[in-house]
Amino acid sequence: MNTPQRQSWRPGGEELSDVKLEDLVSREGLLELVESVVDLFGIPIRVYSASNGLLADAAHDQEVCNYVNTFGSGRTLCGTTVSAAKSASPGETGSALHACFTGNSYRIVALEYETRNVGRLIIGPYLPAATVEVPLTLTAVEGVEPEKARVYLARMPRAKEDTIQRIADHFKRALDLIMFAGHKTFLTSQMHLAAVTESFREMQEKNRRLEEANTRLRELDRLKSNFLATVSHELRTPLTSIIGYSEMLSEGLAGDMNQEQREFVLTIREKGEQLLGLISGLLDLSKLESGTLSVKRKVVSVRSIADTALSTVAPNAKKKGVNLATNIASSVVDITVDPDRFRQVFINLLDNAIKFTPENGTITIVAKNIGMMESDGEDDDQDGFSLLTPVDPRIEIRILDTGIGIPQNERAKVFDAFYQVDSSSTREFGGTGLGLSIVKRLVEAHGGTVHVEGNEPQGTAFVVRIPASGMPPRGT
Amino acid sequence: MQINFAAKELTIKLVYYGPALSGKTTNLKSLHALTSKEARGRLMTLETKDDRTLFFDMLPLAFKAKDGGASLRIKVLTVPGQVVHGSTRRLVLQGADGILFVADSQVSETENNAASFLDLRSNLKELGLTMRDMPTVIQFNKRDLPNIRSQEEIEGMAKKGREPIFLARAVDGDGVLESFFGLLKITWSRLEAENQLERTLGLSAAEVLPLAHEKLGVEKPLSELLSKSLGFAISDPRFDAPRGPRVPGAGGIPGVGSAPRTGGKP
Ligand SMILES: Nc1nc2c(ncn2[C@@H]2O[C@H](COP(=O)(O)OP(=O)(O)OP(=O)(O)O)[C@@H](O)[C@H]2O)c(=O)[nH]1
Ligand SMILES: Nc1ncnc2c1ncn2[C@@H]1O[C@H](COP(=O)(O)OP(=O)(O)O)[C@@H](O)[C@H]1O
Ligand SMILES: [Mg+2]
Repeated sequence: MNTPQRQSWRPGGEELSDVKLEDLVSREGLLELVESVVDLFGIPIRVYSASNGLLADAAHDQEVCNYVNTFGSGRTLCGTTVSAAKSASPGETGSALHACFTGNSYRIVALEYETRNVGRLIIGPYLPAATVEVPLTLTAVEGVEPEKARVYLARMPRAKEDTIQRIADHFKRALDLIMFAGHKTFLTSQMHLAAVTESFREMQEKNRRLEEANTRLRELDRLKSNFLATVSHELRTPLTSIIGYSEMLSEGLAGDMNQEQREFVLTIREKGEQLLGLISGLLDLSKLESGTLSVKRKVVSVRSIADTALSTVAPNAKKKGVNLATNIASSVVDITVDPDRFRQVFINLLDNAIKFTPENGTITIVAKNIGMMESDGEDDDQDGFSLLTPVDPRIEIRILDTGIGIPQNERAKVFDAFYQVDSSSTREFGGTGLGLSIVKRLVEAHGGTVHVEGNEPQGTAFVVRIPASGMPPRGT
Repeated sequence: MQINFAAKELTIKLVYYGPALSGKTTNLKSLHALTSKEARGRLMTLETKDDRTLFFDMLPLAFKAKDGGASLRIKVLTVPGQVVHGSTRRLVLQGADGILFVADSQVSETENNAASFLDLRSNLKELGLTMRDMPTVIQFNKRDLPNIRSQEEIEGMAKKGREPIFLARAVDGDGVLESFFGLLKITWSRLEAENQLERTLGLSAAEVLPLAHEKLGVEKPLSELLSKSLGFAISDPRFDAPRGPRVPGAGGIPGVGSAPRTGGKP
């Protein structure tokens, strides 16, 4: 199949108009077919392409031919006959007879594929079965001895015309089958190639569109973050004044107030601080999203961060009657993180834990060194430990509570901004739904991961893992 | 369509489209069995072990108008219906002159028929064509099965639709020739109108159909075959300029088994 692929190839198109015999059938295959027929009938056969190239030749020299070729004029006559036979047309009927001066015959048969001419078959020379006399055209050749000519002629393969026609028909049918098989293979491979190319083009096109959409989304996201940052900043300034002045009012700096007035002002202040918290959260989040939050790393101990965070939330916990505890292994190595940001992680998680844990519950900070790479499973079994141990030692910090817990199907979603498992809880517990998304981004900014597990038998476990270096692990 | 003026040869390409397993390949096999040896080539099927078309099936038909006259080649191809072969369908569709949409009559296949038709439309669009550009005939196949869209229903839809509709039982060869000649008829009319084939190749619309009918060795009279179209008569001259608006209410007596009309000669 060496037909070059044309650009506009299409199945059922014009590809057949220039289908060539030599493209559909290998020369070796053709020769084998020719030889099998020659073996069967002893009559020479040659196959020519539509452009007159010899494709297969299973002819052997006949004695009478060799004999006439020993004479000068015989040689000339023979040459003329053979070249005339080669270029003879099979005519309208597709089959023609060509006579040789020796009395032999050639049959020229058109080869077709799907009614198109693809070449010619030349059967012969053979001696027509009816021949009894040495023809005069042979004995007339100068030097030819009639006796010898008779002997050689008698050794020629003899055949009746209808036998020759049957041989031709048989050959054509066999060849047609082979061409069909070849054509089918040809089309299959063309089609395969075209289909693969087409699918590839399609996929490229889809990829390009996805990429465009992705770029657009990222741009929108950046705009949103910028917008949020600006807005939050602009909101914070007047809010600080509101809080400041209501503080001064409640402290009586502008004169005494009665009980009711003070209560109102305190409410203004409280709500103002809530609003400030929300705005700061938004600001942090937008900075984190736009990647403009600066992270100043220092080597610190996990314990020191845990302790300052605990002291921040302690009053809250006390008010709620919730116990705080730590369980930090002495082997836990120091981490290289931004202490302020990381304390924020602890505080956010602890705040939540306190919020969602009823009276007399316990909140525990557990920290240890781990070896396993990215195993978010519930238990750290040690399969493949040697393979999974990262180059950087990793620290795992768990914040455990005995509170209301988070259902399995909500565990991934709680990290989305503004997501709350039960928005009615806002009324009871307050909160903005930003805390955990800030935690996630802060942890990730330190090359770590955070996920939720259940704390058996009751409560929630937030699991933070970070490389001790506070840098993303190598190779990511 | 391809014209080889030197060889006085015209090749047209008809494509059988439709959802998976609607009977496209079966149509082609039946068409092969119903046409004469002299005019048909070998049926080539490029399919997987389980008889699902992988690339396409192809049945070449060829005959000469008269001695020394132009010769006509008709290539009938099927697409692979399975959804995954979308890009192959588009390739096969390239250069099509007419489409037989083989729908599955079963009620449960209604959505698949629709999806495949939309797929056809979007593939044509990718090739820069619209349904209006493409002579199309619809075949509702598998009439032998239970739970099928009723004939009345289909007749009703045929009246409202743009395409001639034929009913078929491709496994038994029923409706196969009807659909084929119906498609050939409207495809030829379109090609004739666009290419002045009569002038260039000496092939007139009036003679091509009877010629194809004769050379393909079909026994049923051509007029009978063409009379089977639902909704309106396929022999209606309006198909000779199918781009124009449809003349409303000009339908013939619809339905299989209706009295044969003298069709085929516009
Ligand atoms: N009962 C019934 N079955 C039919 C008819 N026509 C086709 N079938 C059957 O439907 C099945 C699918 O036929 P195919 O011709 O291979 O379908 P296709 O449309 O070529 O399918 P793809 O090559 O996958 O696109 C075969 O089992 C057929 O025998 C019909 O008229 N009646
Ligand atoms: N320790 C916890 N126990 C139970 N639910 C929790 C806990 N921490 C967080 N959640 C759930 O995740 C939601 C999102 O948390 P967060 O992002 O911090 O916002 P919020 O301001 O509402 O606390 C909370 O509203 C709550 O439903
Ligand atoms: Mg098929």
